[in-house]
Amino acid sequence: MGWKAIHRWLGLTIGTLAVVLGISGAILAVDPVQQAWQAPAAPDGLPVATLVERVTRTVTGAEEIRHLPSGAIVVFSFDGDQPQASYVDPADGRVLGAWQPSALPRWVKNLHRSLLLGDAGRWVAAGTALAMGLICVSALVLLLRRMGGWQRLAARVRGSLAQRIHVVAGRVVLAVLCLSSLTALTMSASTLGLVALDAGPEPDVASAVPAVSALSGLSALSALSAANGPTGQMALPSAQLVLLKSLTVQDLRKLNFPAAADPKDTWKVATRQGQGWIDRYSGQTLAWQDATLAQRIDDWALVLHTGEGAWLWAVVLALVGASVLLFWLSGVVMWWQARRLAPHITGNCPLAQADVLIFVASEGGSTWGFAQTLQDALSQGGHRVHTSALEEFQTLAATQQVFVLAATYGEGQAPAHASHALEIIARLSPGATPVPVTVLGFGDRQFPAFCAFAQALEKTLRGQGWPALLPLECIHQQSGQQFARWGEALAQALGEGLVLAHVPRVPTTTALTLSVRQDYPGADGKGGKGGKGWQRGQTTAILRFTWPAQGLAARLRGHGLAHFDAGDLVGIVTPGSAVPRFYSLASGWQDGFLEICVRQTPGGLCSTHLMGLQPGDFVAAFIRTNPGFALPRTRRPVVLIGAGTGVAPLAGFIRRNDRHSPMHLYFGGRDPARDFFFGPEIQRWLGEGRLATLQTVFSRVPDGGGYVQDALRRDAERLRDWVTQGAIVRVCGGRAMAQGVAEALDVVLAPLQLSVSQLKAKERYAEDVF
Amino acid sequence: MSKPLLTLLAAACALALPALAHSRQVTLTAQLKNYGGDGAYLAAYLTDAKGAYVRTLWVAGGKAKYHKHLSDWSRLSAGDAKRLDGVSGASVGAGRALKVTAELADALIDAGYEIRIDAAAEDMRDSPLEIRVPLSAANAGKPQAGKQYIQSLTFQLE
Repeated sequence: MGWKAIHRWLGLTIGTLAVVLGISGAILAVDPVQQAWQAPAAPDGLPVATLVERVTRTVTGAEEIRHLPSGAIVVFSFDGDQPQASYVDPADGRVLGAWQPSALPRWVKNLHRSLLLGDAGRWVAAGTALAMGLICVSALVLLLRRMGGWQRLAARVRGSLAQRIHVVAGRVVLAVLCLSSLTALTMSASTLGLVALDAGPEPDVASAVPAVSALSGLSALSALSAANGPTGQMALPSAQLVLLKSLTVQDLRKLNFPAAADPKDTWKVATRQGQGWIDRYSGQTLAWQDATLAQRIDDWALVLHTGEGAWLWAVVLALVGASVLLFWLSGVVMWWQARRLAPHITGNCPLAQADVLIFVASEGGSTWGFAQTLQDALSQGGHRVHTSALEEFQTLAATQQVFVLAATYGEGQAPAHASHALEIIARLSPGATPVPVTVLGFGDRQFPAFCAFAQALEKTLRGQGWPALLPLECIHQQSGQQFARWGEALAQALGEGLVLAHVPRVPTTTALTLSVRQDYPGADGKGGKGGKGWQRGQTTAILRFTWPAQGLAARLRGHGLAHFDAGDLVGIVTPGSAVPRFYSLASGWQDGFLEICVRQTPGGLCSTHLMGLQPGDFVAAFIRTNPGFALPRTRRPVVLIGAGTGVAPLAGFIRRNDRHSPMHLYFGGRDPARDFFFGPEIQRWLGEGRLATLQTVFSRVPDGGGYVQDALRRDAERLRDWVTQGAIVRVCGGRAMAQGVAEALDVVLAPLQLSVSQLKAKERYAEDVF
Repeated sequence: MSKPLLTLLAAACALALPALAHSRQVTLTAQLKNYGGDGAYLAAYLTDAKGAYVRTLWVAGGKAKYHKHLSDWSRLSAGDAKRLDGVSGASVGAGRALKVTAELADALIDAGYEIRIDAAAEDMRDSPLEIRVPLSAANAGKPQAGKQYIQSLTFQLE
């Protein structure tokens, strides 16, 4: 079981109990705070003997002095046979008022430590604390995994509202929650008798009753006359008790006066350091027991867990206690969202009985849809089919055919969930009679690493000696037709009738309303003057959309438009096409609008649809995060390099540069009159200090400066400076441009013994290429 | 001879020898006040004419961590390793009554022995020597009030 499973299932189950403990704990923190208000602290270095003297002057029949963790002094006494408990001002012994142990009803404390179930409940509460500790440890592992290590722990959190609440709050309170669980366990261990705190049995001590002495004549003057033994012997005034003179009130916990009725009774004093017994007549210290290590640990645990005597800490604990509810709620929502989004294969046959196994590696989830289509078709043909994720790859005795449906993520990597699949497969042996394993790749030809992961799988499988029913086929852009053709080949190879009719699943979309559009004439330069139709059509527009208001409940459930930042992607679903098109976002959620820069591509279904929109028109869209490209919060220099519509996400970065980090923009276009997208805004941002420097080059005008990579070469010195200062680089534009920029920068950085690939490895260089 | 050993010897004599001769059953009933707190810890024990600990009759409240709050009993009985053997039970809730029985030798009655109870409740004031009642036939059946926690303590001799 992985950390994620531990975290999820402990959180969902025992988390409910943790909520009860957290909330009741938060309420209990009221006590230390309230007590701190009403406690006059003892002056520094006040000897206990002096305090006793003051108290005996003002309180008759004092039996016990307690120094509460809050700093308050409470005296227990008997007024006749009426027990009294009063706050006393240590400065003068003045009685301040009656003492009350707690402002809260008892049941709150009992709920917190035993769920009102007595000893059994204490075990349950201790178990909950243990589970909470495990939840905290697993949370730390998952947090580090999610954020990408300790250095990036403070980075911006992405994802749905519930995820962000969970992670952001977790980052803040995790350490305190962990400490609370640990101290709860310490306290449980001593309460449940698993650890002994006492330093052995108490010593058998008694005051040595002296013969009647001449001193008794002075007894009337003694403040302690009431404490004199019944036989009339003279007890020593507290001011003469050596131990009490040497102890300060700061260290005092409790002092018991010798009982009036028992001549052999002693003084008993308890401090942070231990406890001692004093002869009431001679004033000698009869015995001293140091506090055990276990006792000291328990004392510390008590302070850390309850905030007693540290009201600020109590406030922190209260907030952390209450946060458990927040974690539980957001955790439940996250679990529910994950369940909703998880691939749901219907009609799955148990693995051991299946003759056909389908393994899936999917990034966005669409490959699961293809797997379902394949599963349904094969099941109809009478096969028993089992579909699962690629990391489960295996074959069993009943297996006759295996299909691997693999998408590729980013620059040829495996989808996150299948990141170890290659290693797993490389360790497996196909056995004596290997079953055929057929690989079907999914990808996009626009990327150079088209189906690279599927190819790596194919290579590994063949290398291990698995045969294939069909050669590797790579499906471009989730093409249903290509998938159907592969199905025909499959039907032939299997010798069965088989039709793969795939109806793709589209993510839940939100209707965005176009609010403003800003048109740029044909970037080609000839477009305006009655050129050919496609040239005139090749215009560009910056489209600004708004999204419908969303209630908190809907957002928590992950409905509606997800939060996004500049650099993330918006998927546009065009009517009549199942395959969404993605555009880089030039704005963030905070900006209050969603902005993209769209260039009309000849024959492009989606761009044509978008270019045809008028303000007030709707478009179906969803958000896909682009975590590798998004800009981390930083004060380091940021070098932004963009060409054409590729400036869009970079403009979004600059727009949100409220901290005025030094951002440097290299913009490449063709003609400043036609395609200097965001031009006026960029100039404004330059004036506002959101943008530090701007270099523009235009390739189609005389003395335009050439291409953006030419500008980089000219600026080599400055670029090296920035990179030395730790600059982050973001490149957005066409594939050829990105390639040119990388080559130019490799040359620029060579004197620093640095390269683009090194910067990429350090996550300081990222491209968004189309 | 050390004091704990003496105490132990005394206890052994007091318990074992007279028991052979003749013993009586004592029933203690302690009715608690509604003091408004958690269950009270109570230690009922017997002391001799000199105030020395003889034996523990009953300890209500099972958590050793809190036994030091029954401070007189805790100190006096420190030498009695078997002080909890067979004579401990749950703490007693506010307003509830504790009823326990013990076998006592005839010789202990009207011989200066006392029944003492220490009491304590969490976050409240400890009450060592909450109540002391001479173990005499004349006192049997007469309710006595304690200092803080005990409304009335009655013992019956059979």
